[in-house]
Amino acid sequence: MKIRIDDIELDVVAGQTILDAAVKAGIYIPTLCHREDVEPYSSCMVCVVKDRMTNNYMPSCTAKVRDGLEIDSSGDDVIRLRKKAVEMLLAEHRAECEAPCRIVCPAGYNIPLINRHLQAGDINAALELAAKEVTTNDIVCTDCPAYCENACRRKKIDEAVSIRNLMLFVYNTFINGKPAEDFAGLIDVKDKQKIINPVRKKFSSRTGKLEAYEQKEWMKEVPEDAARCREISDLRAAASESVNCMHCDCRAADDCRLRDVSVTLNVKDPQGKMVNAPVLKKINKEANLIFEHAKCIKCGLCVRVSDESKENASLCFVNRGFITLISEPLTVSFESIDRKTAEKYISVCPTGALSKIT
Amino acid sequence: MSKDNKIQGTGCNCSNSIGPEEIKSAVDEVVGFTGREKENVILILQEVQKKLNYLPSDALKYICEVTDITPGQISGVSTFYSQFRHLPVGKHTIKICTGTACHVKGSQLISEAFQRELGIDESRNISKDNLFSVEEVACLGCCTLAPVIQIDGKTYGHVKPNLAKEIISDFLSGSHSEKAAGNDDDDENIEAEVRIGLGSCCVAGGSRDILTNLTDIKEGYDLKIKVKPVGCVGVCNQTPLLEIVTKDNSHHRYTNVRKEQVEEILLKHIRPSSLNKRLLYGINDLADSFVSDEKIFSPVNLPGEVREKHLNNFLNLQMHLATLNSGIQSPESYEEYRMLGGFGAFEKVLRKSLPEELIENILKSGLRGRGGAGFLTGLKWRLFSRAAGKPKYVVCNGDEGDPGAFMDRMLLESFPYRIIEGMLIAAYATGADEGIFYIRAEYPLAVMRIRHAVEKCYSHGILGTEVNKNGFRFNISIFEGAGAFVCGEETALIASMEGKRGYPHFRPPYPVEKGFRDRPTLVNNVETLSLVPWIINNGSEAFSNIGTEKSKGTKVFALAGKISKGGLIEVPMGTTIRDIVENIGNGVGEGRTFKAVQIGGPSGGCIPASLADTPVDYEQLSKMGAMMGSGGLVVLDDTDCMVDIAKYFLSFTHKQSCGKCTFCRVGTKQMLNILTALSEGKATMADIEELERLSHDVRNGSLCGLGKTAPNPVLTGLRYFREEYEAHTRGICHAKKCRELVKYVITDQCTGCTKCYQECPVQAIDFKPYEKHSIDLAKCTKCDNCRIVCPEGAVEIVSLNEDKN
Repeated sequence: MKIRIDDIELDVVAGQTILDAAVKAGIYIPTLCHREDVEPYSSCMVCVVKDRMTNNYMPSCTAKVRDGLEIDSSGDDVIRLRKKAVEMLLAEHRAECEAPCRIVCPAGYNIPLINRHLQAGDINAALELAAKEVTTNDIVCTDCPAYCENACRRKKIDEAVSIRNLMLFVYNTFINGKPAEDFAGLIDVKDKQKIINPVRKKFSSRTGKLEAYEQKEWMKEVPEDAARCREISDLRAAASESVNCMHCDCRAADDCRLRDVSVTLNVKDPQGKMVNAPVLKKINKEANLIFEHAKCIKCGLCVRVSDESKENASLCFVNRGFITLISEPLTVSFESIDRKTAEKYISVCPTGALSKIT
Repeated sequence: MSKDNKIQGTGCNCSNSIGPEEIKSAVDEVVGFTGREKENVILILQEVQKKLNYLPSDALKYICEVTDITPGQISGVSTFYSQFRHLPVGKHTIKICTGTACHVKGSQLISEAFQRELGIDESRNISKDNLFSVEEVACLGCCTLAPVIQIDGKTYGHVKPNLAKEIISDFLSGSHSEKAAGNDDDDENIEAEVRIGLGSCCVAGGSRDILTNLTDIKEGYDLKIKVKPVGCVGVCNQTPLLEIVTKDNSHHRYTNVRKEQVEEILLKHIRPSSLNKRLLYGINDLADSFVSDEKIFSPVNLPGEVREKHLNNFLNLQMHLATLNSGIQSPESYEEYRMLGGFGAFEKVLRKSLPEELIENILKSGLRGRGGAGFLTGLKWRLFSRAAGKPKYVVCNGDEGDPGAFMDRMLLESFPYRIIEGMLIAAYATGADEGIFYIRAEYPLAVMRIRHAVEKCYSHGILGTEVNKNGFRFNISIFEGAGAFVCGEETALIASMEGKRGYPHFRPPYPVEKGFRDRPTLVNNVETLSLVPWIINNGSEAFSNIGTEKSKGTKVFALAGKISKGGLIEVPMGTTIRDIVENIGNGVGEGRTFKAVQIGGPSGGCIPASLADTPVDYEQLSKMGAMMGSGGLVVLDDTDCMVDIAKYFLSFTHKQSCGKCTFCRVGTKQMLNILTALSEGKATMADIEELERLSHDVRNGSLCGLGKTAPNPVLTGLRYFREEYEAHTRGICHAKKCRELVKYVITDQCTGCTKCYQECPVQAIDFKPYEKHSIDLAKCTKCDNCRIVCPEGAVEIVSLNEDKN
């Protein structure tokens, strides 16, 4: 059988989907809810193509080939429709790729991740991260008026996290009494004059102002009895203050297919994001799994890879329509999802909805 | 009301909660007769809910323990379908119909009135005495009596918001016992047959009381009559309907019959058999004429032609094919169906036709699917007959969900045998083995009638036994839908029968190749099947002689909305909308102007009055931007706002969307947001442009028919009534329907009678007898009570903003 996609003739076999045929021929069609080893579902509709003969649009992941089919996969209207699909998903995606502190930081330090390292007591990792991203020899916080603290969401609740002091502590821990050569390999100096925040130019999903109930959810990762301290003199203080971070960033920021597709298709993050589901953050420490509902695009990949047995707790769809959610079953607790299943979920999830806690 | 933004099933600690033994025994009993297969989840949930009033999470857990159903499946299914409740409800549920016809007649206000009366709000849907809950339901199918509510199966029509209290007490005090028709077996001495329509609307209009009355009078005067309940006659606007057929075969019809008139009507045509009784009547009659004026205006004294004029106008332009024998046929009698020629077509094909010929016949007739898509039925049958796989299934799609449409309900309730016959013929023609009736849960009477008819067919050997020498044998079962409009789409319907969430999938593969349980499945609409016997009996040519070039035969429409004489009508294709609205329906109400018809429900569109000469035809309507749809025809007048109508339909499709594909899930919500902003005067011209772009995107990008046609009301609204949309950006609602853009004022006609003060639920009117009343606009909730009760018509709705254009 022969079909044409964008004037390229392909040999296909009966039963193949248009997407399969395109992939085999090296033609790129963006996808989100599709994965090679999983039964196709046609939820995201990012893979739309147009049948030239009927002018109908169809999802290439489930549309089957037939002899003589002529497909338009690159016309302006097709691209526009794909972009619209991504834009609509972003409108449902009430989350941020990068935390506000990182975006306003002149150097673009990955503050939330540094906080997570500090929480775990891993100061080396914290330094390495800070060092890698700086573009000068010196850590710039000393002269900076702490834009990060101004942007910190904790400021709206009680007090900004003491970011500046945390960063200085990290730096000073290593600088104190050590010769400069020791840092030769550690600090990669690109341009001594310019301080560039690499993150600002990149596409980022933004949430803006949080509603009261959202704030409550986002505070879930902060222990109730967390102490505050402004001055950071030792590792204990660092660990104690960094625990107050709300982790506004997305743990999957560099591993997010939604972000990738937004970049590839040059989509603008829409204004006016809708909340269509309870903005829950569910935490399962044993399985190292965090599930953030606000990021879910309902692609159903996690549900589709579940083995659906009665013994292993697995995620399922609940509700209908706009308020559809993916959730643990009603009669089962989120904590009963085991580690192996959680790992599977984290690897298939195209966004940061299902992620590792650490 | 209660499902938004919450996951259900988190348990309830109130005193209504049910003990574990009760749960266990209920579930054990149900699973005992359904079996433990996963596929049966919907039936199991329905039965358990019937026993326990709702679905406690312990019940869900236990069901998973004793069946093959997984927690994921039971969570997914019990939260997808509207029928299932995870929180207890009151002893009685007040169902407020939010169908199109009811909406245009103010169902929103009625819902609010009942909630107010019972002290119910968002947080808790049970009245303080635990007796009542309020539920907004999609169309109950009694559109001509709009606005309609149903309490535990008792239907109330023509409801007004200020009648909430009265209705509740009427319900609580009412007895629901009915007298059966009570006929003797002695048919020979029958002087007359008295037929009373008992379709759902008729019952809502009070026909059951009439039936009781008839039986009483028959016994009281010892009349030799046969009281016969018949199915829907379609003349919903004039029920209760009584027809008396006397021995000499003359027919006398009485409309809008009141209980008090029954005696007189009966006795005009039928003499009591004994002298005593005749005397008794004579005396009663004389006494009555002294006591009341009613006799003078009694319908009995009107000559037949005058009395039946409106009825005749309504009926004359119609052609009864699917509704053949309407008003004559009793819905439950197998014998009568036979006597009137029923199952004759089936026997004819068994004796004479080869399956392939039969399919060719149906193809030639030009019959097209009546559910809305209009696909050539013969072609579908042919594809199905050629598909490989056993067993093969025929499904009758009775999931009529269009708000404002009730044709299928009427056909299922009134002509159940005919539909069975149609299904049998389809099965014979295509080599199918099993039939399934898929009927929505909101149609309990239809379910009952079909079940009864199927049982009768089994006992008479039409079903379940071999009926010809080739061993053709057919079985029929019934599946009750659990409340999801999307399940009218054939792939979603099949998914629900398999115990899954009702998600459609992209086609191909088409169900005729791979459907229910991965076997070939033919899904046909109720009306399509009910036309099949007529085609066989009268020939494909006779059928194709009716209608237009591409749209053959007749179509049943549910005429409702702002029409004087609404009801169910069956007209030849090609009849114009003007004919239907003006000649059959007798136009819109007095003082009002005909504005548009909404045809095809939420998938359809509006045809403005200026285009009323459009013939009813698949292609013609589609050219206008609308769609034939399943047959809902809602008439709109100048007090209907096109933005409000679009908002209403979008909120329906948004609520009913399955949520699988991005464009429908997110797009309908975005469109609804803009329409809501428009109705509140908060939208701009740029928003209208965005709305139009969104409409095209949702139409192109959606996976199934629900999403693809959801923007139609907006697209036709913008095409024919763009000015109205634009006026809303200036804060003007021409029809004065959008509540944020109007205010209620009392004019100088006010006589100070204080009625409005009495009815106002928020005390926005002061008690000032004999002085002109005024409404405190800050408190006014625009519930419309004052305007309804004012005897002087002194309450007016005026525009809040001035139109500068």
